[in-house]
Amino acid sequence: MGRLLKLREAHKTDAPATCSVVWAHDGSHLATSCASDTEVLIHDLSAPPPGRSGSAAGSSPVVLRHHKEGVTAISLGPTAGPLASGSFDHSVKLYSFPGGTFQGNVTRFTLPIKSLAFNKSGSLLAAAGDDDGIKLISTIDLTISRVLKGHRGPVTGLSFDPKHDYLASIDSFGTVIYWELSTGKQLHTLKSIAPNYNSDSSVLNTLSWRPDGEMLAVPGLRNDVVMYDRDTGEKLFNLRGDHEKSVCSFCWSPNGKYLATSGLDKQVLIWDVDLKQDIERQKFEERVCGLSWKPVGNALAVIDVMGRFGIWDNPVPASMKSPTEGVVFNEPNVLFEDEDEDEVLGKGISCYSGSLDDTIEKGSGDFSPISRKRVKKRGPLFDEGEEEVLQEIDSRKRRRESENKRGDGEIRERGARMQDAFQAGSTPPQEGKRRFLCYTLLGCVTSLENDGFSHVEVDFHDTGRGPRVPSMTDYFGFTMAALNESGCVLANPCKGEKNMSTLMYRPFGSWANNSEWSMRFESEEVKVVALGKNWVAAVTSLNFLRIFTESGLQMHILSVNGPVVAAAGSGDLLAVVTHASDCLSSGEQILEIKVFNINEATQTISGRLPLTPYSHLTWLGFSEDGRLGSFDSKGNLRVYSDQFGGSWLPVFSVEKARKSEDENYWIVGFNATKLFCIVCKSPESYPSVMPKPVLTILEFSSPLASSDLGADEVENEFMMTNLQLSEIRKKIKDMEAFGLDVTTLDDEAFSLEVKLDRCILKLIASCCHSDRLVRATELARLLNTQKSLKGAITIVTASKLPILQEKFSCILEERMLDDSKTPEPIPIVRSNRKASNTIQPPVRLSPMMERTPDLNNRTPNTIKPQIKSSPASETLKLVKPHSSIRENLAQGEEVSKDRELGKLEKLATFVKVKGNVTSEVAGKEGSSSATENAKPELKIPINPFAKVKKVT
Amino acid sequence: MAGQSDHSLSIFSAAEVEFIAEDEMIEIVPNIRMDALNLLCGDFGPFLPQIPCKVPLWLAVALKKRGKCSIRTPDWMSVEKLTQVLEAERESPREFQPLPFHYVEISRLLLDHAHDDIPEVYMVRSLIEDIRNVRFHKVESGLETISGRTYAVKLKNLSAMEVNLVRPFMVRVLQAFDKHDSPETVQQADTSASKRPQVVDRGLRRDLRPR
Repeated sequence: MGRLLKLREAHKTDAPATCSVVWAHDGSHLATSCASDTEVLIHDLSAPPPGRSGSAAGSSPVVLRHHKEGVTAISLGPTAGPLASGSFDHSVKLYSFPGGTFQGNVTRFTLPIKSLAFNKSGSLLAAAGDDDGIKLISTIDLTISRVLKGHRGPVTGLSFDPKHDYLASIDSFGTVIYWELSTGKQLHTLKSIAPNYNSDSSVLNTLSWRPDGEMLAVPGLRNDVVMYDRDTGEKLFNLRGDHEKSVCSFCWSPNGKYLATSGLDKQVLIWDVDLKQDIERQKFEERVCGLSWKPVGNALAVIDVMGRFGIWDNPVPASMKSPTEGVVFNEPNVLFEDEDEDEVLGKGISCYSGSLDDTIEKGSGDFSPISRKRVKKRGPLFDEGEEEVLQEIDSRKRRRESENKRGDGEIRERGARMQDAFQAGSTPPQEGKRRFLCYTLLGCVTSLENDGFSHVEVDFHDTGRGPRVPSMTDYFGFTMAALNESGCVLANPCKGEKNMSTLMYRPFGSWANNSEWSMRFESEEVKVVALGKNWVAAVTSLNFLRIFTESGLQMHILSVNGPVVAAAGSGDLLAVVTHASDCLSSGEQILEIKVFNINEATQTISGRLPLTPYSHLTWLGFSEDGRLGSFDSKGNLRVYSDQFGGSWLPVFSVEKARKSEDENYWIVGFNATKLFCIVCKSPESYPSVMPKPVLTILEFSSPLASSDLGADEVENEFMMTNLQLSEIRKKIKDMEAFGLDVTTLDDEAFSLEVKLDRCILKLIASCCHSDRLVRATELARLLNTQKSLKGAITIVTASKLPILQEKFSCILEERMLDDSKTPEPIPIVRSNRKASNTIQPPVRLSPMMERTPDLNNRTPNTIKPQIKSSPASETLKLVKPHSSIRENLAQGEEVSKDRELGKLEKLATFVKVKGNVTSEVAGKEGSSSATENAKPELKIPINPFAKVKKVT
Repeated sequence: MAGQSDHSLSIFSAAEVEFIAEDEMIEIVPNIRMDALNLLCGDFGPFLPQIPCKVPLWLAVALKKRGKCSIRTPDWMSVEKLTQVLEAERESPREFQPLPFHYVEISRLLLDHAHDDIPEVYMVRSLIEDIRNVRFHKVESGLETISGRTYAVKLKNLSAMEVNLVRPFMVRVLQAFDKHDSPETVQQADTSASKRPQVVDRGLRRDLRPR
């Protein structure tokens, strides 16, 4: 562009000085300052039509003469917020805007101020300069909330992250530091990424966040602008083009799509950041040191080093998107962004001092406007404001964390190391607060440090049954504990030479005095402890597994395969998790688990412990019925099962169960179907001792794929019940092998079977709905009782699926045949007797029956019993549901019962059959298989008679 | 008058109202292990230490007395909620804030028997007292405004104890108003007293007056 923008003089300066310009939120005013001028000017653009290049301010500007020396930086707060100015006279002052009333001194430095920035909400003002430290000032009560020290040179640029997580700062050496606002820590320090102007104070380095906060723009070393990532501080890309010298200032358009840059080569370029391409340029007579986009509209205010400013209309060609289009933030924010950038630019060289009222001191309450306002606000608002800010910081942080958790796990876990040993159910120490050494479903061991020693308390949840344990003073500093009904074991790591690692066992009830014992370990450190029935286990840093008896006898010392991670004990079983090798290159850990039976000195399980990728183990333990489970940091519970030769089944995932983002689940234990945990509100990830945490119960849920059935809950129930059933059947088998009484287990298994059947029936129903007939048939085969099978037939009949009806009848019939085969010792007579009942209809419906009648006719004696016997047992089942499993499980017992029952029912049945069968046959005549009915029809009335005759 | 002689209006004593309130459900955290209780009013439990479960208030109090559980303070009994309610009560002179129907009784029972389970118990106690006073005052001042043309009064969110206090009076007043206003009574009274025809006319005229 050859056209030269006409600039208008605002500040008189003899030598080039850094000047700044800031645009008001509504675009009606413009504030300018110059490092060689003590005045800050507020130009009203509304009087003459704004936007005519070069004739920006018509009426005379408001002049603020409060600084004694040149104003180096100005910054404007959010909507109607105050204007802040920083000067060579070491002070930061606030003014109302656009009125320009002086509100007070914000702070004083010992050296000149070079940069100012408001945060998005206007609650914080950052100021920095030649002093060593960036001051964060709460604008509500004008207190310094934090001083960030870390730069080695004058800080020349500041920018608050629009999302309020970070503050970025740059010094004249070109070093950029990302500060975390919530903690004040340096997150990233990027050294010498921008030009070094330390020797040349006329140019100040600057930096600026894109309005969406996703990237930070910093001038580069090769006449370019470099973008850095928001969270990682990694270089994303650079904008390199026609600047022949270094870029000295820039400004993002309100929507973050364009960037205006000005270089030492006296050019101003407009970039399309997405295309990384410059789209417009303008040359100036002097170096432009201040830029500001108009918050509303397509215009750019510029100010050069001679203190002359102008407005460049339509820097973005009309054919392209407006620089304000798609602004994501609400208005004040947008504006604020602009200012942010501008102030950053603001800095300067001094000229002369000589202004009036620096006599006003901070302490004196007579600088009226501000003091009045502030004093009023100070009481309640102070807290509110601060809190608000903190809350905001918090919530952002949390969101970011959760994002991290989900998305870029890699970034976080990239540096994943092998995890240290931990004690399941313990919480990290907190200053002056009681912590859990061990929390189980049974009780907890807590410790409170106090003047070098601790108080350890043992509490049982069940106050009715658990023994009362006096609290004890602990001079060792125990950090590990395990607890069961009969005692607790405590251990401490070694802390220097004096404090050796100690293991202590306290029995709760012992007939002898002084049955407490302790062991000391020289040049060895206890890593984890576990407790079982009459034994205590400790795994040490030498990878020894040491097993002691309850009385302190050293029974076994084993070597484990690697550094220990966790251990858990229950009954005779001890589970030990160790590292099998270094992490995979992807950062996943390789853990190994071994389960020992201490009493029998055997090893029952040995293998790898599965983990969710990029997670670590957070809990290991046994359920009350002795099943082993592990919980990882991604919130997945796995339970060991004997299925498939011993494997880990994922039975619970926090992701699915979580009701709100703010909840963390701290696992305590599990049983056959449920997980017990303590729900902690974020950011807490573990419970505190007081108030007493309350357990929450969560149902297991398999990580099922989302299926087309739309019955996820039922499918989940199906999986879980199946799992439970298989567990219980295995147990029954084991117990039977020992010749133990299994009646209670039988009952349990039966009720599970019923539950499973109910579940399957629901699934069949939903299969029928969604027309999955094959799956429905498969499900029907899984039904445990014939009664449920009949229920299934009713379902398919109701949903008018004759094909399924036939299939199911087939299955039922097969089942009956099978059943009749299995109880071989049962005399034929018995089965014949009861063969009578209402079971016939389904049998008759089935096409399978086609041949049976024939056979029946030919060889009545052999076949009859087979067919008849099944209805017989069926009758029984209808009458007494328990008999069905009993029959399978303990046939011998049942046979006699069956006989008795059979006798009783015989007569009644017979009478009924006589009446019923005929009527039923009549009813079925119309059905699909009517043709086949003829023969069975004949058969039925005959057979009962025959049987009855035999019996009687 | 007519209403006063009606003894069929029964008044509960405070203890009786409390007895009714004891059937409200409340969450407890037992510190014992106990099988489920199968009671006439339902099955409760099983009770497992540190796992919350819901039981009727009477059972909660009984268990609490024996030191077998701690009672979880209901949400509305937190200082924060009560402060809000109190403010709202004070701000709206004509409305009652929604509180549990038995809030007076429940809070009383909890404050008596489970004060160690309530965080900031003194604050809660005084807040509830204040709320009660504000509401009773509202009821009283409301009663004053009942005039001769009122047949029914709509009181939303009134609690059991409050209703119990004003019910007899209110019902009788309204009945009395109704009675005096209906033409039959007037007629009857008049016919019985003196059989002057003008009075009958007056009664009829009243009947025609639009309401």
